[in-house]
Amino acid sequence: MTLTGWEAVFFWVFALAAIFAGLLTVMARNAIHSALFLISSLVSVAALFILARAEFIAGVQILVYVGGVMVLFLFVIMLVNVSAEEQGREEVFNKQRQVTASLIFCLLLVVGVLYAVNNGYRGMQRRDAESLAQADQVRQAEEKRYPRGATGTSRLSNDSERLANSLFRYASLPFEIASVLLLVAIIGSVMLARTLKQEVSADDVDPETLQDEVRRDPVLAELQQSPLE
Amino acid sequence: MLGLLTPLAIFLLQETAVAGKTSVFSAAREGAANPDLSKFLVVGAILFIIGVAGVLTRRNIIVIFMSIELILNAANLNFVAFSQYLQATGKANAVAGQIFTVFIIVVAAAEAAIGLGIVIALYRNKETIWVDEIDLLKW
Repeated sequence: MTLTGWEAVFFWVFALAAIFAGLLTVMARNAIHSALFLISSLVSVAALFILARAEFIAGVQILVYVGGVMVLFLFVIMLVNVSAEEQGREEVFNKQRQVTASLIFCLLLVVGVLYAVNNGYRGMQRRDAESLAQADQVRQAEEKRYPRGATGTSRLSNDSERLANSLFRYASLPFEIASVLLLVAIIGSVMLARTLKQEVSADDVDPETLQDEVRRDPVLAELQQSPLE
Repeated sequence: MLGLLTPLAIFLLQETAVAGKTSVFSAAREGAANPDLSKFLVVGAILFIIGVAGVLTRRNIIVIFMSIELILNAANLNFVAFSQYLQATGKANAVAGQIFTVFIIVVAAAEAAIGLGIVIALYRNKETIWVDEIDLLKW
């Protein structure tokens, strides 16, 4: 799977964009800037997915992460008041000692992971030497056989088709479980984000806690007697 | 920053010098001109480590969540790259890695929804999102 020509150029552009946007995500003072840098990092990684011939995953990444998760993040950042950090009154990072310790840890991780990647990849190259030699010709011949798009400028890959076949043949049970997981997550986040008033009107508060809260805020008692619809 | 980049450069050079080239730099240039699986893995590893650094050093719980998304995304990149490699060498079910990626994205979305729900509930009760002030479970 060697990338050549313009693909190689685009690989380095998007790889550097992903890495620098990731760095700025971690280093930005303002949480909203962090979120926006994370969006650019995710989009760059989606471009890398396209270079790795995973078009469907790239689309899902942009739709779910950038369109869904990051919008959720931005909403929460705007709901929660984080002004102290961005005005420079609060330090961005933890205590100095913790930062040093974690940076040393990360440096060791860099060395270890890159060493493992290199050694492992060398072994894989040795093992797959003959099939790797033909892989690129095989792939180019395969891509020649793809049908042309309606405009005639590009070819349509069958990535989504293969992914769907494989997903429903080998992983249909996990697929169903994932849908249950999402349902649980929806219900859970709605439950967690309710206000006390909403909880009282749904009659879902511990009686002792309710007595305390009613003493503090009499409006709650009315809600309890005539629940909101 | 330089301290971070030097070992990186060394490893990038070392890895591309395997092919039996005479000059380390020409081998590195050739490797950079034709990125393959290992370059995807290196990018994934760097993104992962940036995410770990963010989780360990930031105080804002929302930024910590974003760093976790970065970590998951690095794992996705590895899965997709390996799936492409298997496809090229024809060793195994080629799209298994992409299926894993779909499930990771699902779990990440669920995790973000629940996590941000917890953040909102926490902010309502404790009026803070700094992790060093959230110490209810400290004994």
